[in-house]
Amino acid sequence: MSDIAIKVDGLSKLYKIGTQKSGSFRESFSSLFTSNNNKEQNDDAQKDFWALNDVSFEIKKGEAVGIIGRNGAGKSTLLKVLSRITEPTKGRIEINGRVASLLEVGTGFHPELTGRENIFLNGTILGMSRREVKAKFDEIVDFSGVEKFIDTPVKHYSSGMYVRLAFAVAAHLEPEILIIDEVLAVGDAEFQKKCLGKMEDVSKNQGRTVLFVSHNMGAVQNLCKQVIVLSKGKLNYSGKTINGINQYLKSKNSNSLDLLKFRLKEADKLKFRFTNYEIESEEGFKIDSVLTGMSFIIRTHYEAITEIEELIIRIQIVDSKGNIVSTLNNFHSLYPFKNLKRKSSVACKILKNPLMEGIYTLNFQALINRSVVDDIDNVGKLMVYEGDFFNTGKIPHIKEGVLIEHTWLI
Amino acid sequence: MKQAQTIIDANRKGLTLNVKELFAYKDLFYILAYRDYRVRYAQTFLGFAWAFIQPLATLLIFTIVFGKAAKVDTGDIPYPIFALCGMSAWSYFAFVMNQSGNSIIGAQGMVKKIYFPRLVIPLSKAVVGLIDFIITFMFLIILLVIYGIVPSSNIIFLPFFILMGVISALAVGIWLSALTIRYRDFQHIIPFMTQLGLYATPIAYPAKLLIGSLPEWANALYFMNPMAGVVEGFRWSIIGGEMPSEYSIISFSLTILLFISSLFYFKKVEKVMADLV
Repeated sequence: MSDIAIKVDGLSKLYKIGTQKSGSFRESFSSLFTSNNNKEQNDDAQKDFWALNDVSFEIKKGEAVGIIGRNGAGKSTLLKVLSRITEPTKGRIEINGRVASLLEVGTGFHPELTGRENIFLNGTILGMSRREVKAKFDEIVDFSGVEKFIDTPVKHYSSGMYVRLAFAVAAHLEPEILIIDEVLAVGDAEFQKKCLGKMEDVSKNQGRTVLFVSHNMGAVQNLCKQVIVLSKGKLNYSGKTINGINQYLKSKNSNSLDLLKFRLKEADKLKFRFTNYEIESEEGFKIDSVLTGMSFIIRTHYEAITEIEELIIRIQIVDSKGNIVSTLNNFHSLYPFKNLKRKSSVACKILKNPLMEGIYTLNFQALINRSVVDDIDNVGKLMVYEGDFFNTGKIPHIKEGVLIEHTWLI
Repeated sequence: MKQAQTIIDANRKGLTLNVKELFAYKDLFYILAYRDYRVRYAQTFLGFAWAFIQPLATLLIFTIVFGKAAKVDTGDIPYPIFALCGMSAWSYFAFVMNQSGNSIIGAQGMVKKIYFPRLVIPLSKAVVGLIDFIITFMFLIILLVIYGIVPSSNIIFLPFFILMGVISALAVGIWLSALTIRYRDFQHIIPFMTQLGLYATPIAYPAKLLIGSLPEWANALYFMNPMAGVVEGFRWSIIGGEMPSEYSIISFSLTILLFISSLFYFKKVEKVMADLV
């Protein structure tokens, strides 16, 4: 028996945008009579869109693999093809083991049916037999925490109860391969934790293969050792999670440099000026977004008219409301840089990013021999996504303030 | 333990029906039927009583319009019994055709989110329809008792005609469910077909009324209706009388052809179903 759970080979999926879709009868009927000439025009209007383009990878048994990528990268299409909801246009997939895919919690739930009936309905839709559902019934009800309302139609449930019941059914599937879309984006924080815990249990302790699509880098980081990064339908990276996340956070084209570039033309004879800046990961990848808790580098490039005797750099981090969250200053934390080249770069490494999820801007200021030589606001844009700051697997969903490393004492 | 292996290959050619897989999903088939049955009269004041009111009302109107006013000749069979025989078969057909015809569109939430053999959806509607069928059939038995009519010995053929009814309802329903995915126009055709079929099928009148007065080609055309043969045969097996006309063969062969082709057409559309709905 091979140790490969999923083998994907040259997978492509084509969608035609425009005319074909759920067409009307008249269109098909009339296209029977239109000349070839017309038909060619139609073909032009029809745009091909490769949602997946020649994607190949292998997933070993017992691995938990995250699939990440920006919106429209093809993550959902990949899941749909792997779960056999839609057929690929090209390529081949080999799946060894019983698959359960959860692209949504509570598929097929009917509001008029009771919780009990919906457990059976949803369970069978997910591929369990009636007997299997029956055997797990008590466990499912227990996990969901809605036993009091189990014989009430689910339309009277609160949305939280509904989701809990739905996830409870899904959590008791016993497939060898579990494919999960961002189902964790629902429910309250406590329940999300419970779900993540269950998934961790499935992948780490029970040794099942888990495929997990998420925008939540924190969850991916915590759950998966391997990731697959998709970008515009193509496989961008497949391998270690940390490298994959760096790849995902990598900048494509940053507009925030315009301000710096614009200045270049304006004043040529300044004593000192910032010419560029970059965000880098610890491993040296150029990125434009970072995770809470990760280490990253802000590198500023400069140009001066002579060599610099003593340089102080001040970087202010400003949140979306305009509050200065923190100031990084080498005068305070280290000592002023001495004897620098005329044209080079200096970098500030943030050892553990305390910023909560959000968009931040950066202000740069430079002082030579204690007098300000360059001062520019709102140059950089820094995207921060949720991450596992405390290395506990628990992602704080707070939007205010910053995180401080701390410990508790009794 | 034997490992399940799934191969998805874009280059795979041909259409296989995969009956084995369909069978593996039999629990889903039952539970979908159960859901439809449970939900059907939910939140109605009269609830399940509707299942009785509808056939009764139709029977009443038929008896008044065709039996009393138009005086359709049904020989020595009382008109209500004559009509109810046809109605019970026809309303089953109409119900299943309607339900399964719209079934995939109605289940698009599921179709887009999870895999299972899609054929389970329209097939499950055939079971739901049986409940209504049993109710009208009970009425028929009550009427037979009231009128003191003993069913003919042809009744041993009844299961065959019921089976043919199920098959023809599914054949049309499966075709329509797949067609509506491609062309929503068929959603509007279904009610039209139901209405037309009520008159184009020998329900309220005996088929021989038409056979006698139409040219040969028109008779053949008339029996192209898959239900024409079923309704005639159904009635014959209960109350006897003349054998169904030889044209019924057309009806039955067409039904079988329609059923087999529906399965293959459905299979073909199934591949793109999630992308189209």
